[in-house]
Amino acid sequence: MDLLTVSVTARESAGESYTLVEIAGEADVTNTDELRRLLDEEVAQQPRTLIIDLSGLRFMDSSALHALLRVNRSMDRQGGVLALVSPQAAVAKILRLTTADRLIPVFDSVTEAAAG
Amino acid sequence: MARDAETAQRDTAAEDALARPSLVRPTAGAVAPSGFSGLPGSADDIMSYPYTTDLAAIRAVVQRHAVKAGLSEARAIDLVLAVSEVAGNTVRHAKSPGQLQIWCDAKQIICQLHDEGVITDPLAGRRRPSLEARGGHGLWIVNEVCDQVDILSDETGTTIRMHMDLPG
Repeated sequence: MDLLTVSVTARESAGESYTLVEIAGEADVTNTDELRRLLDEEVAQQPRTLIIDLSGLRFMDSSALHALLRVNRSMDRQGGVLALVSPQAAVAKILRLTTADRLIPVFDSVTEAAAG
Repeated sequence: MARDAETAQRDTAAEDALARPSLVRPTAGAVAPSGFSGLPGSADDIMSYPYTTDLAAIRAVVQRHAVKAGLSEARAIDLVLAVSEVAGNTVRHAKSPGQLQIWCDAKQIICQLHDEGVITDPLAGRRRPSLEARGGHGLWIVNEVCDQVDILSDETGTTIRMHMDLPG
């Protein structure tokens, strides 16, 4: 069983397309490089909205958090928006502790995130 | 229920991946590096877990001990995060395996990690890093979530002891 799985789908909401990335498992320094590479690929497609569904992610450490912050900077630079969805308790904790949740919007559902 | 069973199974599988823990008796000075006050006299048996890159297994071990010791779910999450950050530093910076030791006394659960990495900044983890920073959140998080953190680093390596108060 892979420690981390990432799946990507292109979706549409009210005529606006967005990219949905679902991250599941545990994200830490041992798989950050892979996570960063997969996220970079999606950012390179220049989506207007990139939604990362964290509901299947049981754990995230500071190196994985940096990968998300990096995506946020890139999306910012190219005029897009990054949104996070449904972090579990451990992931919500590191987002709150580092105040990353004030920088990146966090939603309860993909539908809400897509509606902005 | 299914989720609990799945979690338990995963933890067991993850821990199987770890070297079998050895039981270390808390003889004075045997574990505590010089410069640290010795182990608490009332310490129960100390569990030792060597680790390399098997951080998920280390987290499962800490989670199990934290719950067993009586930490709340939220504080167990904090301890798992703290230990994972320190063990992650071993993976990133140390060229050799690390060692996790866990013990409890009446008031605290203590997780101590040792590796051969060296920390040269005496204020490491004491300042909140900017979200723009490329790194440096690990030790800061450890200091934020733990009730007490002792760091001892010299040319032979680094020992970080994290204390969490048990609900009393």
